Amino acid sequence: MLKCREVVIYADHLLAGELSVVERAKLHLHLAICRHCRRYVRQLRVLIGALQRLGARASSDVAAAVMRAIHARAGTSRS
Amino acid sequence: MKDPAKENEDLRAALGSDKDTAFTRLVVEHHAGMLRLARAFLREDEAEEVVQDAWIAAYNAIAQFEWRSSIRTWLFRIVINGAKGRLRGANRELTVDFSAVEPDALAGRFMADGHWSAPPENWRAHSPDELLQEQDLIDCLQKTLGLLPQSQRVVLELRDLQGLEFDDICNMLSLGASNVRVLLHRARVRIFNMVDRYQVTGEC
Repeated sequence: MLKCREVVIYADHLLAGELSVVERAKLHLHLAICRHCRRYVRQLRVLIGALQRLGARASSDVAAAVMRAIHARAGTSRS
Repeated sequence: MKDPAKENEDLRAALGSDKDTAFTRLVVEHHAGMLRLARAFLREDEAEEVVQDAWIAAYNAIAQFEWRSSIRTWLFRIVINGAKGRLRGANRELTVDFSAVEPDALAGRFMADGHWSAPPENWRAHSPDELLQEQDLIDCLQKTLGLLPQSQRVVLELRDLQGLEFDDICNMLSLGASNVRVLLHRARVRIFNMVDRYQVTGEC
């Protein structure tokens, strides 16, 4: 039987799609009886989803400044 | 996560018809992430230079890009290489901090028998979008990311914020697969702990 301490490691592999069938079965057996670990895995998914959305986009001013610098120093002409 | 193949296909077509407009879209999309990555290695002024140089290099080389990897991976690789070059020039290097003895941030929340002693709080948010509705929490996430040890921060940025493949990350950082996973795990549990504490105290 997996321990809760091990579940937090398994959770990373679960999310990366890296668990074998046997490991997945062990994990789900644990999750079926442990609400703390169910909560951990659920909230870890929420957190990682939030991190993916955190990468803010640059403003058009910033992008324009980058493009100006490119044209000032780029080796090739505009095409 | 966006489908990289589709992303590539759209971009390739757009670059063919109007290079500058398409390239500006790339800058809007990736500049902030590239800058965060460079800041993990370098001082602010150096980071900005490295990212600007990366854009110039990318602009000049994009015609030779072979479209076999995702453009995102390619851009982040250019930044990493630029940052490494800068560090080498200054006789500094990427510090990788994972001694096997250092416990992760969740270690204190388990009993000796491996059960939770301090189980996770019940978060108010049930989805990523709900979690990001509180500006205070977003600020706190940004701050916590900035405080992570360098190598954890780099791995978390590349994997969880940018969604790059493990193989590419190992390759870019010259680290083995298990080390990258340890660093990612440590970064994640630190952030998890922070959000967990925030749910109770409302403080960062």
